[in-house]
Amino acid sequence: MNGDAVVVGIGESEYYKRGGSEETEFQLAMKAISRAADDAGLELSEIDGLVSYMDNRNDPLRLSSAMGMKELRWAMTPWAGGGNNSAAAIQCADAAVSGGYANYVVAFRALAQGQFSRFGTHFSGMTNAAGPHAWTHTYGLISPAQECALQTKRFMHDHGITQQALCDISMACYANAQRNPRAVRYGSPLTREKYHESRWIVEPFHLYDCCPENDGAAAVIITTPERAKDLKGEAVPILATAQGIGPNIGIDSFQGRWFPGMFYQGVGEAIWQRAGVRATDVDVLQMYENFTGPVMMSLCELGYCEPGELQDFVADGALEGPDARLPFNTSGGNIGEAYIHGFEMINEAVRQVRGDSSCQVDKVDLSFAVGGPGYAPGSAVLFGRD
Amino acid sequence: MLLVGLVTRPAVLCCLDGIEKMTNRYLGDSFLLPALDPDNKDWFTSGQLHVQFCNHCDAARYPAEDVCFQCQGSDLEFRAISGEGVIESVVEVQHPVHPLLADRVPYNVAVISLNGAPGCNAIGNIVNSDEVDVSIGQKVRAIFEEATDPESGEQLLIPNWKAI
Repeated sequence: MNGDAVVVGIGESEYYKRGGSEETEFQLAMKAISRAADDAGLELSEIDGLVSYMDNRNDPLRLSSAMGMKELRWAMTPWAGGGNNSAAAIQCADAAVSGGYANYVVAFRALAQGQFSRFGTHFSGMTNAAGPHAWTHTYGLISPAQECALQTKRFMHDHGITQQALCDISMACYANAQRNPRAVRYGSPLTREKYHESRWIVEPFHLYDCCPENDGAAAVIITTPERAKDLKGEAVPILATAQGIGPNIGIDSFQGRWFPGMFYQGVGEAIWQRAGVRATDVDVLQMYENFTGPVMMSLCELGYCEPGELQDFVADGALEGPDARLPFNTSGGNIGEAYIHGFEMINEAVRQVRGDSSCQVDKVDLSFAVGGPGYAPGSAVLFGRD
Repeated sequence: MLLVGLVTRPAVLCCLDGIEKMTNRYLGDSFLLPALDPDNKDWFTSGQLHVQFCNHCDAARYPAEDVCFQCQGSDLEFRAISGEGVIESVVEVQHPVHPLLADRVPYNVAVISLNGAPGCNAIGNIVNSDEVDVSIGQKVRAIFEEATDPESGEQLLIPNWKAI
């Protein structure tokens, strides 16, 4: 925090459509980590810490061995949840190096949906509704899209928000992906007509409100500013991180006093307090959009606008391109670039500070990345110049 | 908004004990049944809405939890509440994520605030959405779907909802 840790290298595999990778998930992870090490100018064997999240399958024993690590000193994942922890992984790595527990920590996410199908078989193989799922699956409430749709529907109802706002958010991701050759949706632009004509998944989400499933991996290397001076990679300071969740248990809970919401107020307050800035000071935002609806709620909860202002806040291309009113998901995000459970956005947030994004914003001092909303604990990270 | 289902919805029977029951389930008789456990058994078998309350501070909690979120007490019990509620949100699901739902889409899922259990919202379906305008703010009443627990052979009475 406060620049006591820096990102000194970023890397990613190629990104593929779901099942499109011929490499295994472990090979994808190694590719992203190796490229991040190359970017930093660091030998793989010097890395001594590993952080991932969301039931990571590429465990530290396999990785430390494959990487030829001299010594593994720090291995962890944030607790529970899913893509909500993408920025919490940065926080864990920051804590490791700024606390002196490790020297060079990799934070990464890798997934190969062809090798390990997350959806599809997961749901279709269910034969009863057990444990916490009894209260929801029994009634056909099964997928995150459906959970987020219930939250989004009420939020739109309460604040007079129309389908156009969801379309605006999806359009921004697709438009920015057209500038990014890495993006899975590169060369597949979206029009308003195509958006509105696309099939419903669960009202109010059209197909294009939902991020796809993808194969790929992304990684960053985090160290101290002092160690970074001896490396060729440009050091990008981590100004603030936060993780947490408001009352109750998130988007799969619908309890009265907190419904609807993404429970991100506390994460926002912590970030702005720790960095001494406000949401409106941020130059460029990467915000996890598993679905467009939660973005609306997260923007409000993090302090960008009031719910009654949201419709206008995202309208008229306000989120599209490097010169947008609020440059947003500049690599295309989960929807346009690839759904690496939000970690591709961490790389993009770093890239914006370095100045080498395919949708580069002018004079970036503050670059903000927000992990998946609603699940516990949410997380966010602010990169920038000291 | 009128949520129109493409499939024929089940007949409704009124029983002698005053509990309104359905002989068929809204999502089909073969759809996933709840696995009974101590926290959900009353909800899914009693023919009444049973919600967990704290005997120390009277906070209501749905779904049940081992410790009261308000006073951290663990003297908790399930109490029957009124069978009425209000739609807090409702969506129409078009994409089936389970093979048993393939011929049931579109179907609706709703968040229902439970009268008599402050702050508690339950998940359910509005079983008469073919006949009634279903929207946020609509009052609903519990109706119970009859089924049989495959493990114990016990009769299930799965709470669901009718717009009134």
